[in-house]
Amino acid sequence: MKALSRRWKIVLGILAAGSLIGLSVAWWLIPPGALAFAGGTRVALDAYSGPNPTGVSTELKSADAVTRGRYLAALSGCQICHTEEGSAPFAGGHAFPTPFGTLYSPNITPDRRTGIGDWSDADFLRAMHKGIAKDGSHLYPAFPYDSYALMTDEDALAIKAYLFSLKPVRQTPPRNTLPFPFNQRWLMGIWGAVYTPSDRFRPHADRSPEWNRGAYLVEALAHCNDCHTERNLAEAPNNRRKFGGGIADGWLAYNITQDETSGLGAWSDDEIARYLSGSHVQGRGAAAGPMAGVVDVELNHASQADIRAMVAYLRSIPPAAGDLPAPRPTAAPDSPRAEVAAFDNRGKHVFEGACASCHGWSGASPLTGYATLTGSRAVNDPSATNVASIVLFGTERLTPQGRIAMPAFGKAYSDAEIAAVANYVTARFGARGSHLTAKDVAKLREGS
Amino acid sequence: MIELRVNGEAKSVDVAPDMPLLWVLRDVLHLTGTKFGCGIAQCGACTVHIDGKPVRSCQLAVGALGNRAITTIEKIGETPAGARVQKAWLDLEVIQCGYCQSGQIMSAAALLNSVPHPDDADIDAAMSGNICRCGTYVRIRAAIKRAAAEHA
Repeated sequence: MKALSRRWKIVLGILAAGSLIGLSVAWWLIPPGALAFAGGTRVALDAYSGPNPTGVSTELKSADAVTRGRYLAALSGCQICHTEEGSAPFAGGHAFPTPFGTLYSPNITPDRRTGIGDWSDADFLRAMHKGIAKDGSHLYPAFPYDSYALMTDEDALAIKAYLFSLKPVRQTPPRNTLPFPFNQRWLMGIWGAVYTPSDRFRPHADRSPEWNRGAYLVEALAHCNDCHTERNLAEAPNNRRKFGGGIADGWLAYNITQDETSGLGAWSDDEIARYLSGSHVQGRGAAAGPMAGVVDVELNHASQADIRAMVAYLRSIPPAAGDLPAPRPTAAPDSPRAEVAAFDNRGKHVFEGACASCHGWSGASPLTGYATLTGSRAVNDPSATNVASIVLFGTERLTPQGRIAMPAFGKAYSDAEIAAVANYVTARFGARGSHLTAKDVAKLREGS
Repeated sequence: MIELRVNGEAKSVDVAPDMPLLWVLRDVLHLTGTKFGCGIAQCGACTVHIDGKPVRSCQLAVGALGNRAITTIEKIGETPAGARVQKAWLDLEVIQCGYCQSGQIMSAAALLNSVPHPDDADIDAAMSGNICRCGTYVRIRAAIKRAAAEHA
């Protein structure tokens, strides 16, 4: 009797420990929803007393479905991922390198054979809200249907109307290169069931109409969460550190919470609005890399009222502390003589030959504010990931003053030289110098 | 129409605002002393001065310029530093094929305006972005020092 009870104790103990581990794994793997931080009462769209936070900007309310769809598609960023550089817009083929293999975006032009020309409204809604294609296969969450699930049927169908107004392009993207088990699409059904909201956007009754509009734009359309929130082991955004910083195509998508030091807490509303509208912002920098496309292809279509609504919403994101230092607000000395902390001289040599003519020795560009380094997050990031990436791959901006670009230096300089110049740049212009090695640069080179 | 201030004269040009200044100078205003080299601000052949600072005109959209003063190789000899640089260039016979030399002279003149007596490190920092395929670097360095020495 005694032995039995001891055995039971052990069994119970194991069960208790097991369920404790299970619960903590579940806690860790299943973070709260994207809008959970806001708390308060959510109401159905019909029951919300304020103006409808969904749909297009006020100016376009009475426009036809194609025009409304163009606006919504722009803010949802469809074009960026569904376009391969140098190829027709929306015809797919853009590569997404993942830790598990490479995915290619599908063609979403209305071509009946290679695009989505034979999709019904119901097919399109099921893809947008549940991540299931017309043929019943489960889509990979590189397609942000966990965000688009919040979009109203009306808005999703306006996007469909816009896509169906485009010229059909016959183009089949390359096949995905995912090995077993990641090529088992049905597994994505489980992911979708766990991480996709089952309801469309529900306004928060105790928040302002502007906040609700911003929440809809940021969460249901622009899906900022996709890059700016770190992912857990199941590749789901960890909303416990919502907008605390993540990764986009090998670049760092920085902290956009209200943290004063690492995030946007010290930015004014106007600075955030101008950055999102496509400007460079003095002392803050300008979008580059993947964010350049987000700003120039998506957000520059947004009305100023919608930009302000996004800013109002971003202002409510709880601060997530990070390890990024506060950006150094002052320019470096004009003279190349005023030395920065002793760094590999090679970095200075590369800088004087390749960088100084556009960025200046002070970091305040004599050419354009878009090339000014002072205060930008990238040069104030001691990992120097984005500085090395922009040197390797360059960047392009489509500004109101025309196209402006930084060339790619990846083929002109060795990994060691790029590491040296990145370390020089962060030390000269940033709050804290980086210690990048040739190996780190090689990894960034491969990773894209 | 875009209004520009080139070598002290007001010019209006009918071009797209994203046209690089180099194209406007050479193809529209026919100031062909400024050269096209690489087109990506990496060789220095297209250097001009904007408000006295050396910039690569191949990467500078004219729409962004406004009323800033543009000086090209055609008129740099009318500035004191430019005149001294050009004289030293002739005295020491710096030029070989000559293609990069307008850019070299523009960078050198800007250097003397900011650092009247540059040493080798100053010259490296200011001139490294100007590439010379003939390898006249040794004479360029000597000529900059000569021009500096002429400065009272």
